[in-house]
Amino acid sequence: MGKPQKISLKEAANLIQDGDFLAFSGFTIWRRPMALIYEMVRQGKKDLHLFEVNGGTHTEVLAGAGAIKMWESCWVGHELYGKLGEGVARGQVEGTILVEDYSHGQMVARLLAGAYGLPFFPTALSMGTDILNPKFDMLGKAGLRDGSNPKIPLKKYDTIKDPMYDMGEILLMPAANPDWALVYASQVGDEGTVRVFSQTYVDPEVIKAADKVIVLAEEIVPDSYLRQEPEKNIATGYAIDYVVEIPWGAHPTGSQFFYDVDADFIRQFYAASKSKEGFDKWAQEWIFGVSSHEEYLEKLGVNRLNKLKANSVVGYSTTVRRGTR
Amino acid sequence: MTAQKEYAKDYKGIDLLAVAAAREVNDGDIVFAGTGLPMLAIMLAQLSGAPNAVCIYEAGSIDGRPIDLPTSVGDSRCAYQASLAAGLTETFYGQLHCGYVDLAFLGGAEIDKYGNVNTTVVGDYAAPQKRFTGSGGNPDINSLAKRTVFIMVQEKRRFKENVDYITSPGWRLPKWPSGEIVPKKEIYGKYYKGGPSAVITNMGVFRFDENGEMYLDTVHPGFTPEQVKENCSFDLNISRCKGETEPPSVQEIELLYTKVDPEGIFLP
Repeated sequence: MGKPQKISLKEAANLIQDGDFLAFSGFTIWRRPMALIYEMVRQGKKDLHLFEVNGGTHTEVLAGAGAIKMWESCWVGHELYGKLGEGVARGQVEGTILVEDYSHGQMVARLLAGAYGLPFFPTALSMGTDILNPKFDMLGKAGLRDGSNPKIPLKKYDTIKDPMYDMGEILLMPAANPDWALVYASQVGDEGTVRVFSQTYVDPEVIKAADKVIVLAEEIVPDSYLRQEPEKNIATGYAIDYVVEIPWGAHPTGSQFFYDVDADFIRQFYAASKSKEGFDKWAQEWIFGVSSHEEYLEKLGVNRLNKLKANSVVGYSTTVRRGTR
Repeated sequence: MTAQKEYAKDYKGIDLLAVAAAREVNDGDIVFAGTGLPMLAIMLAQLSGAPNAVCIYEAGSIDGRPIDLPTSVGDSRCAYQASLAAGLTETFYGQLHCGYVDLAFLGGAEIDKYGNVNTTVVGDYAAPQKRFTGSGGNPDINSLAKRTVFIMVQEKRRFKENVDYITSPGWRLPKWPSGEIVPKKEIYGKYYKGGPSAVITNMGVFRFDENGEMYLDTVHPGFTPEQVKENCSFDLNISRCKGETEPPSVQEIELLYTKVDPEGIFLP
């Protein structure tokens, strides 16, 4: 507890152990902790267990690098810029990634329980679907629900007949408490107060649910500034363990009021991710071919970054070409 | 709508899809929309027949007034002038679970005659041949919205007798753990609010009868009901087809290309 410790990107990645249980900030291709993901791949992390309400470009970088062992989630892709999550799909089909599917609402229920210190959270969302088919409890089938891993619940879900208002049968979703929340945030105060601009996604819940939290900050600002409008903040400094100050740390995903999604970059990554060879070649260029985040930005070049830079009034780039007209 | 409405002579299939979907929105509806064509549909509806419709995007923006078309539901453009820029706890529980949502606009890879949709895998889930994106919020939104409209591509392999995996709940569903197939109402009980009300494809508009079975309601200009039936693996009921889908008006096409998607993001 207390103020978070300021560390470097390399030190942050070094804290993550093979096999750790991870959750992330952001939503699909927005506000993902990409610089840290790249550094983890450079350091050769493996056997990671991911818990995410949805996956995105960051998931696919880890999947392509062969770093994921288990993936509890419900969706992966790059939105308009890449239809599928090719790396996760390949891992699931080939049996190298153990996939446990839920729905968004059910994953949110699991996070809420984890964030608020509850064992489970009730929900009526996605009842009557194959998500609940007992044959498709994949962690259970793999013998992982025997209590030996304290981060894996004894059941994928349970049901209860409402004992309070007789509303009938409802689902109970088990809490998730990942080892780490790897978060990218718009601003972090010098005492650790966290603010994100625009939609909050599940960032506040991910921070509370995890045992330890690393935040990549686009900017570190005086806490006194963030405390002028406390209603805009999403987490207290004492909930955060480590902070890395790293401008453009979410590229190629977008960060509201700082920069837009780099559509061309993600399209090229998506094309490469369709095969192991394609991914390896891409990673050689963009991950292993640069030794640091600064070198990565230099390779992208100032003109490219300028195009992505958000308009300070509307919060997104008004100069980047997005469509065919 | 006036009697003198002028229909567009030149339009693409995707334009009709967006227009037909927009016409499903009633003024004042609270609409939960996914990425892509659903965005065109809700924005067109707000500019034409349903100016008081409200749009919720699952990533957290509620009643946004975008001035530029978003490319995904997490896009900062969704939150422009929103009444709330919140997160998924608010959208899935504070809006959906508590019962505000009138209409959902969703997509799907495969659908069966009861409106069960698959967006997860091809083949046996335990040993799949191919993975799609996965459920996302599709089944949640479809669980508790009063009406759901699916926008899909019409192909024989997508309109199936049985989908490989029920990602999103239609009108007849397995009740786990036994897997007995029962009406949706039986599973959702007091939480029940409705279900799939229409499916719109590049060939026609489909609705569901008293038994929750899909039938062809209107066929798009240029196609016959028989052609639509040929592009379905199940025995599609075409006996209730009312005729042709109303084509887009000149004004609707104008709005789509000059106000909704002037950059050519979804409309090439």
